[in-house]
Amino acid sequence: MASRGLVRFVSRVSSSGLRPLSSTSVCRATLQNKHVTDKATSPWTLMAAVCLQRLPVISSDLSPIEQQFKHMLSQMELEKSMLSDHELRLLEDKERMSRKQANDYDSDDEDGRGDQDIVLTQDLEDSWEQKFKSFQPAPRVRADVDENLTSPERCLADSLLLLVEQQVGGQKMWLLPQTQWQEGETLRQTAERALSSLSGAGFKATFLGNAPCGVYKYKLPKAIRTESSVGTKVFFFKAILSDSSRPAAPTSPFLWVTKGELQRYLKPAYMAKVDRFIPQV
Amino acid sequence: MAVALSRCLCRVLTRQAAPSSFLLGGHHHAVQSPWFAPAMTLKTSAPLRAEPKKKKKVDPRREQVIRDRLKKKLKKLEKVPPELIPIEDLIIPTKCLDETRERSAPRLPFEESEGRALLLKEWSRYKQEQHMAEVQAVELALDAQREALEELKLESEELYQAALKPDPLLFPFTHKGPTYTPPKTDYEAPDGKYNDITKVYTQ
Repeated sequence: MASRGLVRFVSRVSSSGLRPLSSTSVCRATLQNKHVTDKATSPWTLMAAVCLQRLPVISSDLSPIEQQFKHMLSQMELEKSMLSDHELRLLEDKERMSRKQANDYDSDDEDGRGDQDIVLTQDLEDSWEQKFKSFQPAPRVRADVDENLTSPERCLADSLLLLVEQQVGGQKMWLLPQTQWQEGETLRQTAERALSSLSGAGFKATFLGNAPCGVYKYKLPKAIRTESSVGTKVFFFKAILSDSSRPAAPTSPFLWVTKGELQRYLKPAYMAKVDRFIPQV
Repeated sequence: MAVALSRCLCRVLTRQAAPSSFLLGGHHHAVQSPWFAPAMTLKTSAPLRAEPKKKKKVDPRREQVIRDRLKKKLKKLEKVPPELIPIEDLIIPTKCLDETRERSAPRLPFEESEGRALLLKEWSRYKQEQHMAEVQAVELALDAQREALEELKLESEELYQAALKPDPLLFPFTHKGPTYTPPKTDYEAPDGKYNDITKVYTQ
């Protein structure tokens, strides 16, 4: 642990360029050589994949302890509070009604507005109640939409992840959309290309930064392995879905899955790596 | 020029005066003619005989200085510190101090208060677990990113440098958070009128 830290410190110091001249020239030469050798003989194929998330649209349901606590908090707040204007009016009305019902009632003793008899506070409350009931909000949970795995509007309380079925090495499997890196573009551009080409047009996404959030590397089976291609490294880039318009014609089958459903679709080794950077919500 | 003229005049007068007094002998109360006034009748004192005062520059400067001093004094007196803008949140409105608004505090039975205390403890435990899980998740994500960057560095230096560059187009980033009910696709919000009565203070 300490040695790792030391190595990192040394590498950071070297990259800051505060070394004497002789060693810089030597290092630059070696870097260039390494760069050339990398370009020529890097045995790993580079791929970039995009981890597109649709963030939750509605708040999730409260767990039992949260419900209990919410109830208790509201009770405590009510006890500690003061009477509001509306409650004072209710009390006044009640008092006036009781005085009216009394036998020795004299309406001339009343001071205050005369129209308070016409519109009682209770009536006001009832009218507000009516108005509230007349508004129908959209339903929180729609079972039919939840069943449809291809719709980005399922499971509004969780965050969804885009999965695409791709052919990898002769085998069809579900994974995050990925393509091979080409010369002259950064890995993020590769990821953007992967998103636009594989899952059809219409997914507007905001990529979060230039740095990859995870890596998955696998070696090719021994039969196919050669000197120049040992395996593949897949770099993942995070993106957030900004506008869910329907894609015109999806080029390959895709799914929107929650974190819990991921296990059903992804291979175990892949899932282990991807699980680390996908947040719970 | 005026100085020269006056100087000439003086000399002329003295020249004129000297022979006339000599001639007249004892006539000290000489002829009172303005042109031949003897020098001695002129009230000459040392400062007068010296260079005439340059009144045109000194006086305005002095007056200016006096006026500046007065103005400074006025400014100092008028300098009132600006009135502080009241923070309306910190002023307790008089409505709250009204005694008629006090609620009758209910007497809670022992079980109720016990139940509340126990629920509070459970809640703090639940929240602590949630927080620990969040912190762990963040650490895991950071670990994954660090690993990815290390692998990328092993692969190619230029891609690594490109990955380290900050993205200038990302910020300002906005995203609408979750609401209780999802938005209705075909809802037309009714137009409302409102009167803005916020008090605006100027210093």
